[in-house]
Parts: sequence; C-alpha cells; structure tokens
Amino acid sequence: MPLDTSTTYPLTRLRLDGRRWNELRLLQAQISTNPASSGSSYLSMGNTSIMCSVHGPAEGRRGDGGGGAAGSGHAVVEVDVNVAGFAGVDRKRRAGGSDRQSSRIATTLRSAFQSHLHTYLYPHSTISIHVSVLSADGSLLAAAINACTLALVDAGIPMPGLLCGCTSGMSGSASTPRDPRHDELDPLLDLSLPEEQELPSLTVATTTAVPVGENNMDDDEEAMKVCVLTMESKVHATYLETMLAVGIDGCSQIRELLEGVIKGSRG
Amino acid sequence: MSNQRQASSASQVPHLSPAELSYLYTSLSLPKNPIRPDGRSPTQFRPLSAETTILPGTNGSARIGFADGTQAIVGVKAEVEKTVLAADTLDSRSLAQHGDALNREGEQGSAAVSGQGEWVQMSIEIPGFRDDDALPVFLSEMMRESLVGSVAGGNGDAVKEMAGGLKGRLVINKRWHWRLYIDVLLLSQPLAYPLPLLSLTTHLALLSTKLPKLKSTGEEDPFFDDDWAAAEYLYPRSNISKSLSAAPSYPVRPPVTLLVISVGDNVIFDPNREEIAVADAVLAISVTRSGDSETLKLLSIRSIDPPSRLTQPGIPNSENVNMLGATAAPGEETGGQEEVEGVWRPRRGGVKRSVIARMVKTVLGKGGVGEEVLEGLEGVEVQ
Repeated sequence: MPLDTSTTYPLTRLRLDGRRWNELRLLQAQISTNPASSGSSYLSMGNTSIMCSVHGPAEGRRGDGGGGAAGSGHAVVEVDVNVAGFAGVDRKRRAGGSDRQSSRIATTLRSAFQSHLHTYLYPHSTISIHVSVLSADGSLLAAAINACTLALVDAGIPMPGLLCGCTSGMSGSASTPRDPRHDELDPLLDLSLPEEQELPSLTVATTTAVPVGENNMDDDEEAMKVCVLTMESKVHATYLETMLAVGIDGCSQIRELLEGVIKGSRG
Repeated sequence: MSNQRQASSASQVPHLSPAELSYLYTSLSLPKNPIRPDGRSPTQFRPLSAETTILPGTNGSARIGFADGTQAIVGVKAEVEKTVLAADTLDSRSLAQHGDALNREGEQGSAAVSGQGEWVQMSIEIPGFRDDDALPVFLSEMMRESLVGSVAGGNGDAVKEMAGGLKGRLVINKRWHWRLYIDVLLLSQPLAYPLPLLSLTTHLALLSTKLPKLKSTGEEDPFFDDDWAAAEYLYPRSNISKSLSAAPSYPVRPPVTLLVISVGDNVIFDPNREEIAVADAVLAISVTRSGDSETLKLLSIRSIDPPSRLTQPGIPNSENVNMLGATAAPGEETGGQEEVEGVWRPRRGGVKRSVIARMVKTVLGKGGVGEEVLEGLEGVEVQ
C-alpha cells in the first residue's frame, strides 16, 4: 500500500498524523512504576508504549556457562525484550520464545548499555533489564533505549549521561543520488510504523560527552556523543548526513523531555 | 532463573528452614483465628490497584497491580475467522437433510448457537519462563477452561445474547466466527502463585472488551460498522438506569478463579508465597454469577500440587545425633514417622472432604468471598 504522504507530503508538508517534519510525537513517561524492581519506567512515544524494569546490580547467576565476563571486574548487563502478542495491529503468534525483531533490539540494548554504564563499579554482578513492548507503532528501538535509560536512572545505576534515542528518515526518492541543482531534502523525525515501513530510516542514540583530557576545560554543554547508530534500510550515502543531523537534534529534544520526567518525579 | 525453570506446577518454594515452616504452619493452623505473616484475616485479599482500557490497540485491556509490586497486563484481541465445520457437525447436518423439516430446523439452530472452545486462545508470559514451560501452560489452560465452560442460565435479553456462554457469543453466523486471543503479561517475577492476579486481570480485560458492531445480517459475509463508538461489549451490559454515574450491571460476567489453601482446619484466601509453602491443599476454584440470580455458580475446582510436599523435614531432638547426649532417653526409637509437636513434616496424603466442602462454601455462600471479590471488581470503572 503506497503511503499517503508520498503523494500529499510534497504539497502539504504534513505527515500522516499531522506532524511537520521536525516534530516529535507526544512523549509521556513515568518512573518508579513498579515497586517490585530496583528501577522501572513507563514510556510512550505516540502509540508506542513500553514498560521497562531493572533488577540489580545483583549477584550473577552461578553455573552459567556464558558467564565468563561475570568473573571479571565489570557488571554484566542482561536484556530481555518481550513484544506482547497484542502489541501490533494484528495479533502475532511467536514460535516458542523470541522472534527476530525482539532479539535484535535486545542485542542492541545490551551492547549499548554494557559500554554506557559505569559497570566497573559493580564487579561480579548482573544488571538485568526487562523490556515489555505493550504497543508497537514504530521507533521501537529508540523508545526502548529511552525507557531503559529512565529505569536505570530510577535504579540509581551510575552513567555518564542520559542515553537518548530517536529515529529519523528520508522521504522522497532516497535511493538515487542527491541532485545538487534543486537542493531540497525531506528528512523526517521520529517515524511512526507506516512511515518506518515505507521510508528509509535510522535509529541514533546520543549521550553527553564525558569531559576527558584537554576537553575537560571546555564548558561546551551541548557536546553530544553518538552511542548507537543502526540502519536497516538502504539509502544513498549523500542523504545520510542530513538524516543523522536530524536524528541527533531529535535526541537532544528527547533528552530535555526525559530530564523533565526525572526532575519532575522528585518533587 | 534456572531454579525457576525447574519449578513445576507449584510456584517456587521459598528458602525456609524446617523450623520456620513449622512455625508458619502452627500459626496458620491455630483454631478459629489463624495468624498470617502479613496480618490479614483469612478471607482478606491483598490491596490492589486496577485500571481498564489502557491499550488503544486492543479490543480490551486491563492492568492490576498488587501493593507488593506484582503487576499483570492483559490484552484481548479479536479476529474474524472462517468456521471450519467439524466432521461430526457435517454428519449431523447431512442426516438432518434426510429427516423432516422440523428436525433440520432444530439441528441448524443448535449449530448456529454452539461455538467451539478452541476459539478462545490464551497465552501467559511470565518473565524467566518460556511460554511452553509447565507453569504458563497449566495456568492458561486452567483459566481458559472455566472461561469457555461457563454457560449462562436464567432469562433476560442480555442473557439470551450470551446463550451458549462465551463460545456462543463468538459465533457471527454459520460460516464465520470471532477468534479471541487473550494475552497475559506478568510484568514482574511471580512473588506468589500468580493465578488470582492473572484471573482478576483477565476478568477486567474481558469486561472492557468491545467487538465492532455487525452490519451484515444472517449468513452474509460479515461486514462491520467502522465506527468504534458503536462497538458492542463482548459481555453485554444492561444499563437500566440511564444516569451516567451509575455503574453498569452485567447480567453475565466472566468467571473468576480464586486460590484457596487449607492449613489444618483453616481455610485461607489469596495466599502469599510463604503461606502456600506450608499448605495442606491448594485449590483453584472458578466461580461466576449465573444469570439474574444473586447466587454464584461453581464452574470448576482444580487441585494444585502444594509445594509443601517437596520441603525437607525437620529432625526431632530425640533423633538428632548432635543432641543424643542431651536427650533423656536416646535408646527409644521413634521410627521417624509420627508427628512431633513443633517439628516440620512435609504434608502427605489427601485432604479431608469436609475441608474441601468448607472451602467451596466460603467461596459460594451468601456474602461469601466470591461475592465480595465480584463486587470489588464491579467497583472498577470500565469505560
């Protein structure tokens, strides 16, 4: 089914859900939603809603064959992603355990937070993160990153800065090289599911850079560091820079929102 | 996680010593007024918070959270499916063609009403368990059978609509039917046997479930009103009083499964993990309200293997090698079989009939626990 926006977007500059190109969907979040875990959060971006709970840092499981890293001086991050059967438009039956999408998200989250968190503070321990996707409407990975960040903050696990994720895409004929004569680009921020299925998109997550060495003196608070960057669709390389810039801009918008959530919950 | 995987139909056994188990058992089996670890009365439930219609992408959804942090979310999704007629149905219809017209009429009438139990699918996700592990499969089947099995009695328009129970409600016409997927998500580790939590959440989710209004009639291919505001509730409600503030009444309600344990002569509801660990018998009792009548109807009773059978026994001082010098008569053999006061023995054997009868009576009786639970659930606003 061709996306409605592909015909009307050049005329109206409004997307399917009425947003402009640089607008995020409504982001609502809450932390400490589940008293039974060390940290928990609920986050919804548009119609995507995710619950996340963190257990630990706790003593790792013994007798676990793959626990080679558990013996080292760093905590091990475990991520478990569960996309509920009722999350999508059609009810999806998964064959015994996990599907490709959720295991891919889990792997990305694990590697992102394993290197992001100050794991050296918790040797021989495990931080397990459980993500449940209650309703899926695009930007799943980005929403999961944001939900995990909030839950980890709630659990009080030290990290250099908030890790915030966002998606960006490119409408129009993004498979052909960019035409330098009419320099018109149509990047989109924070894609919903129909847009994600139709258009090339990438997920980017940034954090604030840690002041190290010579940069220590810089009071540049806007310095961002890209931590996660994934792309599953094809796009011509000339568009990549714009998409990345739009995504990083979205991340800093999301960071402000998440900071508001964290500060708001203290009051 | 590995020891959770080993947990069979009974929930995980907490690490309690025989002395602790014995203490718990004694305080729970005190005649007339048992003392529970959290100070509740025997029929008191844990406080919970509930909300419904939380997920816009489902036909019906609900969330319940206990104060201890265990939470469950249930989403119900419905799909239209073509009815594959079973072989015996075809046989009876072909037979009916040979019979007289009246007979055929009767046959078709019954075929149109009766649904199939497999149209309701239930799956339970518990963190740390695969969905084909014993616990989720057993729990979902236990809840599904009472759901499918309940058939409303009595009379009234709304009850007629539910003739044949939930199965009958899913029939659209002879060739089409609804398939109902009930997905239960337990969001935290099961701190106690999660059955009551899951059952209550499923109950609320089903009450809030809506199906699109059918526009086509008779044997046409189904065609639905695309106005969601016109959708009809799966469990019809009769709003006799038109005022918006009054809670709607449900002539037919989905069943509720309650977990009851017996310790000694006492009957205890909504047990937590420690209490289950010393139970003599664990029963899952499904009840529903039948039609217009005020009485509750018993749908099913299932016994659940109590984890107390797997516990380690305590050793009385008379048999303890370390205590040999201290005890007066070490030579006297006790055989190790009889009960010694204050020494834990794993529960063996069955449960007395009178105890089971009392458990059922406490649930079903007038002003009993079943009524109390259903009334409490009615208090939850279902939009």
